[in-house]
Amino acid sequence: MICAGIDAGSRTIKVVLIDTDSLEIVGKGLTDQGVEQDKLASGLFKKVLKSSGATEKDVAATVATGYGRNAVGIADTTITEITCHAVGVHRLMPTARTVIDIGGQDSKLVRLDGSGKVRDFAMNDRCAAGTGRFLEVTAVRLGVELDTLGKLAAGSRRPAAISSMCVVFAETEITGLLACGTGREDIVAGVQAAIASRIVAMAGRNIEPPIVFTGGVAMVSGMAAALQTALGQTVTVAPQPQMTGALGAAILAADRNR
Amino acid sequence: MKTIIYTCPYVPAEWIAAHGLHAGRVLLDSVDPGFSAARAEGVCPYVRSFIGEVINNRGADGAVVTTVCDQMRRAFDIIVRNCDLPAFLMNVPSTWQTLAAQKLYVDELKRLGGFLIGLGGKAPSKDTLAETMLAYDDARTSIRSAREHLSAKQFAEAIAAGGSLKGEAFGDGSSDSGHPQAALQAATLRVPLAIVGGPLMKPDFDLLDMIEHLGGRVVLDATETGERGMCPKFDRRRLREDPLLELADAYFAGIPDASRRPNSELYRWLKRELAGRAVRGIIFRRYVWCDLWHAELGRLKEWCNLPVLDIDSAGDNETDRPRISNRIRAFMEMLQ
Amino acid sequence: MTDAPERITLEEWDVQYEKLRRAGMRQPQYGGPLSRHVEDGDHRLRKLRYDNSAAALRLWNFLLTEEDRLREARSAGKKIVGTMKDLGTVPVMAYCFDNVAAFYPDGAWWIPCVMELSDGLLEVADSLGIDESFCPVRAMLGAFVTGAHFPIPDMLICSVGATCDDLSAIAQRLNGLGHPIFWWEMPHRRCPEQDEPAVILPGGIAAPKCQVEFVKSELERVKAALEELAGERLDEEKLSAGISQANRVRQYLAELRYLAFTAEPCPIPALEMLIAEMLAIHFCSDRRETIAVLGELLEEVRGRVNAGLGVLDADAARIFWVNPVADLQVMNLLEDCGGRVCGTEYLFTHALDMIPQDVPPLEALARCALADPMAGSSIDRAERICADVRRFGAEAVLISRIPGASHCALEGQVISEIVAETLDVPVLEIEVPPVTDSMSPTLRTRIEALVETVRARRRATQGIRSDR
Repeated sequence: MICAGIDAGSRTIKVVLIDTDSLEIVGKGLTDQGVEQDKLASGLFKKVLKSSGATEKDVAATVATGYGRNAVGIADTTITEITCHAVGVHRLMPTARTVIDIGGQDSKLVRLDGSGKVRDFAMNDRCAAGTGRFLEVTAVRLGVELDTLGKLAAGSRRPAAISSMCVVFAETEITGLLACGTGREDIVAGVQAAIASRIVAMAGRNIEPPIVFTGGVAMVSGMAAALQTALGQTVTVAPQPQMTGALGAAILAADRNR
Repeated sequence: MKTIIYTCPYVPAEWIAAHGLHAGRVLLDSVDPGFSAARAEGVCPYVRSFIGEVINNRGADGAVVTTVCDQMRRAFDIIVRNCDLPAFLMNVPSTWQTLAAQKLYVDELKRLGGFLIGLGGKAPSKDTLAETMLAYDDARTSIRSAREHLSAKQFAEAIAAGGSLKGEAFGDGSSDSGHPQAALQAATLRVPLAIVGGPLMKPDFDLLDMIEHLGGRVVLDATETGERGMCPKFDRRRLREDPLLELADAYFAGIPDASRRPNSELYRWLKRELAGRAVRGIIFRRYVWCDLWHAELGRLKEWCNLPVLDIDSAGDNETDRPRISNRIRAFMEMLQ
Repeated sequence: MTDAPERITLEEWDVQYEKLRRAGMRQPQYGGPLSRHVEDGDHRLRKLRYDNSAAALRLWNFLLTEEDRLREARSAGKKIVGTMKDLGTVPVMAYCFDNVAAFYPDGAWWIPCVMELSDGLLEVADSLGIDESFCPVRAMLGAFVTGAHFPIPDMLICSVGATCDDLSAIAQRLNGLGHPIFWWEMPHRRCPEQDEPAVILPGGIAAPKCQVEFVKSELERVKAALEELAGERLDEEKLSAGISQANRVRQYLAELRYLAFTAEPCPIPALEMLIAEMLAIHFCSDRRETIAVLGELLEEVRGRVNAGLGVLDADAARIFWVNPVADLQVMNLLEDCGGRVCGTEYLFTHALDMIPQDVPPLEALARCALADPMAGSSIDRAERICADVRRFGAEAVLISRIPGASHCALEGQVISEIVAETLDVPVLEIEVPPVTDSMSPTLRTRIEALVETVRARRRATQGIRSDR
């Protein structure tokens, strides 16, 4: 039997299928979010099932998580992304003690105990300035692709200071910096540093390593390095960082099935 | 009877009532987004709501504002410029350990008395004040003793109404929000939590229901509008000897707050109450732009060995609710 | 007096320095070229523009070597007192003791600007949960944690109550980290009630006598604490002498301000005036030298005024500036946009008004302390601003909000409204974070628009006059 995890995030929907007994991943997929979340989730779910050679009858349990989890009709239950990311990361990296997840519209910091259970967490789901949205705005404003930001930032010698707490105003600042002749690399580095500083504010002083970085923003090169600089500690990007939430949801589905 | 509105717990309701006026401690609601007398950017939503309440209140005859926070102090300036309602700014000292600070508080109560007399109140005799204090003390005792039988929201509502209720009994276990006794007994199975922070607004009381619906049980309401903001029991012997001094002592020394300097008493109180009620998690509730409480978040997390959930609110219930619900749900998943 | 006064860059200062040195400029022990401070990490200096006089060089060197002075004071066995928030009262007492040096830890709020955020102080504050929603004075927390900027004081004294929540909260966080703080209460200054004995405070505002008495009793406690620290008594004679010295500073500043704000053309740039005014708060850890520095600056300005020389164009728009800026460069920006500062209210007018010398000294200090613009209502503050706008002939008011500062939002609103109602001059509000590079175009546009508005109003007024 298999169990399914569906992470209906703000930007993408992810599905992970695992073998109920071995907990090994047997299928996974991702699609962009949209207005008809349920339909999109259901469509992706079926597609992943098919590509893994399974049918709906093989699915013992399904857990949905993420921003849009309550809209996923095919889920048996919903669990928050905090819990799911913790479980997913623990599965992939059992020694992890701190998880930093930065998505399209929110960011979170989760502390784990030795068994992978959530010990504590903090979230920024109010302000886009500490999220992937800020990087998207920056990429558009600079006329570059999101996946080139890291390479640009690597060339920075002096990250620009971005003052605004608000992405809308920060966009104006970026325009101002360009007008002053600030290099794009310094602007990108400044934006990444600003995002990282918000994580520091959530983290407090006692951040326990190993630190694992997940979420879509973890795949933007340079962000892990920015976090490392801000935190003063090694930050490791999780394998398949976008899928940890869905993986965790699938594992929790398997737990409940037992 | 004329009504004096206020929000601060350091304004003794007994003092107003003993002057023959109605002490209307206000439970604020979210302010209309179109409210323009005070700007929104950089302004605590609670303070903004308070300004709106005072300016728009048609039933009040006077308002008391205190200096407990910067923004309230400045709110007074907005109020006096924008409405004719008589308003009094009461200086509540931040320091508390010196006799001078304690005396300042007493002097401010006397000055407040002058304001109340100016609005038609009557200076109370010692006996009148003492009797009034006893009635409020009894009412608070009733409220406290009912805590175990009420949901957190009901308890918070009872405290909020406490200023106008004298000696009413609580505790038959039933409620309008549909929490029968059996359900309350089942509450002992839920995760005991504390909610800590400044004042709550009306829509926030639904937060308390939300917490309980999701498997928590708020055993300690350490918000300004909750238990923490309640004056402790009076020393009845001292009350008879010098009721004003006892009133001042109980309020000024007995209500711990983040604004105190130092605010060690807040942590002493929290340590005692958290341990005494076997709290397993803290929900820290603050307003965006409230520096006094925001600054305590990091310290609280370092100080206590309990998980702390930060809930920041901009006072917009519509957008806040789904976010807060998600955070609380995650918190409960963690604790259960 | 320097020939041809002008504003110059740091590179130009290196050239100017050599010229002045060859001409025999006398320098104090802390003197030297301005550019050397950049090597210490003060990168912002590269972007600022400075007055080109020897007096201004001395002023800057004095400011930028304060940390060295504090370390020397510590090595010499002096007791270091950190006086927080009260902005100008407790240091007057502290400097009466020979073995005490006082400084203003809140001043660390400029470190992120001067070091262009390379100091890491704001990141330390972030890690303590004091993020950017707080005033930049949060850098002070970082400075205490790193210990990299000033020696940890032997005593911390902080006024609370009718002060500012940000500083109060940050100080409490500092206290929570294990730094003991001597707290003293500043009551909210109110109008005297009918038949209530009142006192006129420096600056002209009335306050109830009982409030002066209260502040005096608080200052008695502070005095006793300082006496215990210093190991000596501070009698009235010594305190009076200290007040006399403080008044010398205030006297120099009064004349400097009057000349800077009223003379045509403007004899000294706004940035140097900001630094000069700040010396009144705590004497930059050396009261005697403060008097010498200000004396030299005043002499330079007097010379320029007598010679009809200045650093800005004669038609610069006359702007009254409210609140200190977290980024020093903004003072340059005003002048680059065609404005000049004609009046300031940097939240410490009580440190600029003369301390009365016809009343017992502690009572005099109490009166000064209670005159703190933050201790009273914003309405009082606005009224004083209006009076000073008239006095200095300003044509517009610029309110510079401090990002995250709890009092600024509502206070700015009240001041704007009252100024607009009372004076009918344009009012502009801007927000100035520690580094404004990215916001420079936005700020420039706003300030230029204000200057254009002032000039247009002038033309309209002149048009009306010529019609008559």
